[in-house]
Amino acid sequence: MFYNKSMGEILVNSLNLIDDIINDTKVSQLDFYRSVLSLISSLYKNTSLGIFFCENLNVILKAAINSGKIVKNYDIDSKIVYDFIENPDKIRELKTKKDEFLYSNTLFAKLSIKQSVFGVMVLSADDMITPEIKASFSALSQIVSYKIKDYELNEVFKIQLKAIQEAMIEKQEALEIIKKQHKKLQELDKTKNLFLANISHELRTPLNAIIGFSQALDSKIFGDLNSKQAEYIKDIQISSLHLLGMINEILDISKLEAHAMKFSPVELNPSQTIQEVVNILEPLYKNKDIEIVFDSKFECKILADYQKFQQILYNLLSNAIKFTPEKGKIEIAQLQKDKNYILKIKDNGIGIDKKFHNKIFKKFVHLNNVYTKNQNSTGLGLTITKELVKLHKGKIYLESEINKGTTFTMEFKNIIL
Amino acid sequence: MTKKILIVEDNELNMKLFFDILTYQNFEVEKSFDGLDAYNKLKENKYDLVILDIQLPKLDGFSLIEKLKYENIILPSIIVVSACAMDSDKQKAKDYGIFDYLTKPIDINNFIKTVKEKLG
Repeated sequence: MFYNKSMGEILVNSLNLIDDIINDTKVSQLDFYRSVLSLISSLYKNTSLGIFFCENLNVILKAAINSGKIVKNYDIDSKIVYDFIENPDKIRELKTKKDEFLYSNTLFAKLSIKQSVFGVMVLSADDMITPEIKASFSALSQIVSYKIKDYELNEVFKIQLKAIQEAMIEKQEALEIIKKQHKKLQELDKTKNLFLANISHELRTPLNAIIGFSQALDSKIFGDLNSKQAEYIKDIQISSLHLLGMINEILDISKLEAHAMKFSPVELNPSQTIQEVVNILEPLYKNKDIEIVFDSKFECKILADYQKFQQILYNLLSNAIKFTPEKGKIEIAQLQKDKNYILKIKDNGIGIDKKFHNKIFKKFVHLNNVYTKNQNSTGLGLTITKELVKLHKGKIYLESEINKGTTFTMEFKNIIL
Repeated sequence: MTKKILIVEDNELNMKLFFDILTYQNFEVEKSFDGLDAYNKLKENKYDLVILDIQLPKLDGFSLIEKLKYENIILPSIIVVSACAMDSDKQKAKDYGIFDYLTKPIDINNFIKTVKEKLG
C-alpha cells in the first residue's frame, strides 16, 4: 500500500514538488490544491483523498461537501465524512487533541498552523489503514498545512506586488501629467506677464495725449479757461492719474512676477523722502482735512532704492488717506535699532478685521465694507508694497482694530549706514 | 539763434502735443513720423535736439541711432520719450549713451524743463 521508500525521503520529495507548484505563477488556486492532492495520493495505493478547508470544522465541512467545494482526487465516501461531522466528540478530539483521527477505514488529519485549524485532509482506504500510513499521512498533513499557507501568502504577495506595480505606473503617469501641466502653467504665466507688460505699454500712448493736452490747458499756456472748464480739466487729470496708477501697478506686478524688477540702492535720507511723498499727496489729504504728523528732524542715512522706497511710502500713505475719515490723523514714526531701520505708518481710520490680516497682502484682494465700495483699485497695491519691502530684505506687518485704526510696520535690517 | 528740434513720433496726437508745446516755447520744430524719414532728415539737416520715440515704423529708435553712429554722422542731443516703462529699455538707452529717458505719459512741465536743460 505504501511505497517502499523511507518516509523522510517521501516527505522531502513532496516538499520539493509542492515548492515547484507554488513557484509556477500560472497555477490557479484550484490547480494548486489538485496538484497537491494528486501528489499525495500517488504515495498511497487504493485510496481516495480529499482536502477540506474550514475553520469551524463541522459547519464548513458540511457546507463544503454540499457546495462541491471539496477538493478531492477520487470519490471519498461522503457518508463517512457526514458521519464524522455529525459526531461532535470526534471533531472536538481532532481539533484539540490529536493530529489525526481514524474512523473506520477513513483517516482524518487536520491542517493547522500554530494551533489554528483551517482544514482537514481525508484519506479513505479500501484496506486497513496501518499505523505506518497513519504516521506518514499525519506528517504530510503538517507539510501540506505549511505549503498551503505558503501558497496563500505567495498569492497575496503576488496580488500586492501587482497592485504596487500598478500604483507605481499610475503615479508615474500622474507625475508626467503634473509635469506637463506645470510646464504649461509656467508658459501661461510667462505669456500673462508679457501680456500685462504689453497692455501697460499700449495704454501709455493714448494716455500721454490725454494727460498732456489737459496739462497744457491747465497750465494755461494757450490762454485762460473759465471756472467750469478749469474744474473739468482738473477732473480729467485726476481720472487720468488714477488710470495711470493702475497701469503702473499692472506693470509692477508683471515685473515682480517675472523677477525683472531692478533694485538699485542709493544712500538716502528717509525723512526727506517721506517729506517728498507727503508733498505729492497734499491735495488728497488736505481735501479730507487729514493731518499727517512725522518727525522731519529724524536724522539717518539708509541704503535703499529711491524710487521703490518712495513707492512704498506712497502706497501706504495713500491707502491710509483713503481709509481715514475726514479730520483724521496719520502718524509716521521712524526708529533706529542698531543698524535696523523701522518705519511705522499709523492711521485712525476704519481698521481691518483680524481675519483679513493674512489675506491683505495677496493679489486682487478687496476688503468688502462700506468705505471701500467706492474705492476703485486694482487690488495690487499692498502686494506690490510687500514685494518692494522684500526687495529691501525687509518685512512688513500690520496691527489693526476695527474703527480704531491700522498701523503698518516695516523692519529693514542692516540698511542704516 | 532759434534752436532747432526734430520730433520723431508715430502717434499723430502725441506728435501734435509735443509740437504745440515746443513751438509755443519758441523753438523751431520739425516733424518725422517714422525712423527712416528721421534718418534722412538727420543726415541732411542739423538739429540741436531730437525728441525720439523708440517703437517706430520702418526703423525703430535704437536701430536709427545705431545706423547713424555706424555712418559716423554726428548726433545731436537726444531725449527718448517712450511708452516702454521696463528697466531693460532704460538700460538699453543708457548703453547707447542716452541718459534722458522720459516715460509716457510725460509731465509736460518736466518735459519742457528737460528740453531747456538739454539746449543749455
